[in-house]
Amino acid sequence: MNLTNEKIGDFTVLHIEGRIDTTNFSQFESEINRLFDAGEMNIVFDCSGLHYISSSGLRVFLIAQKKTLPINGKLHLCKLQPAIKEIFDISGFSSIFKIFETQESALKS
Amino acid sequence: MAERKEAHFIIENQVEELAVLFDKIEELAETWQWSVPLTMNINLVLEEAVSNVIFYSFDDERKHEIIIYISIQENELTIVISDDGKPFDPTSAQLPDVELKTEDRPVGGLGIFLISKIMNSVSYTRKNKLNILTLTKTI
Repeated sequence: MNLTNEKIGDFTVLHIEGRIDTTNFSQFESEINRLFDAGEMNIVFDCSGLHYISSSGLRVFLIAQKKTLPINGKLHLCKLQPAIKEIFDISGFSSIFKIFETQESALKS
Repeated sequence: MAERKEAHFIIENQVEELAVLFDKIEELAETWQWSVPLTMNINLVLEEAVSNVIFYSFDDERKHEIIIYISIQENELTIVISDDGKPFDPTSAQLPDVELKTEDRPVGGLGIFLISKIMNSVSYTRKNKLNILTLTKTI
C-alpha cells in the first residue's frame, strides 16, 4: 500500500494506492491517526488506486468515522473502483460514508 | 463435460503467510483465466476465512498447517479450508446488522458476513480433529 496526502482547502486528500488487508491495515490506521492528531478532521480518501480491501481495512474506515462524528469532522470517499464499491455496498458502508464520483465533488460537499 | 480442475496450497498459521496465499491465488487466477472481480472476491473470501483460522483456532505457540483446496467442476467453484486447531465454527458467529447507523455499528464480525455474501454456500464440519470449512460459488 502506498499513501500520500495533500492539503486542498479545508481538506486533506489522502491518496490510497494498492491494497488494504490483514497484513498492512495498521499502516493505514496509523496514517489516519497521525492526521487526526495533527488536527486534520476533514479527510477525502481518493480511492482511485485502491484495488482491494478486506474487513480489516473496512474496520479502520469505520473506527475513523466513529472518531470524527463527535467532532463534526468530514470523511469523504471518492473514485471507488466498481469492485470496491460493491464491497462497500454489501457491508452497508455505502450508507455510513459519503461517497463521491470525483475528487472535486468530494471537496465541495 | 468440462474437466475438473484442482489445486491446493499449504500455509502456516502466521499472518505473513496471507501474502504468500495472495500470490498463489494470483498465479492460479492467471492459469485458470479468472476475471479481475472474481479474483478479488476469491482473494477476499480466503483472507477472511484463513485469517479467522490464524487468529482463533490455535491456543498453543506451535506451527500449524492450514490446507486450502480449490476446485472447479463445470461452473461450480469449491473452496475447502482445513486446520487442526480447536473446534471453531465461523458459521455460528452472529452476523452484523449492516443497516445500523455508524455510532451503533460494532467494528467486528464483517469477515464471515462478506464470505456469506460473496459465496453461495458456507458450511462447517468437525471431522478427525480437523475444522473443515467448505465454500461454494457458481461462477
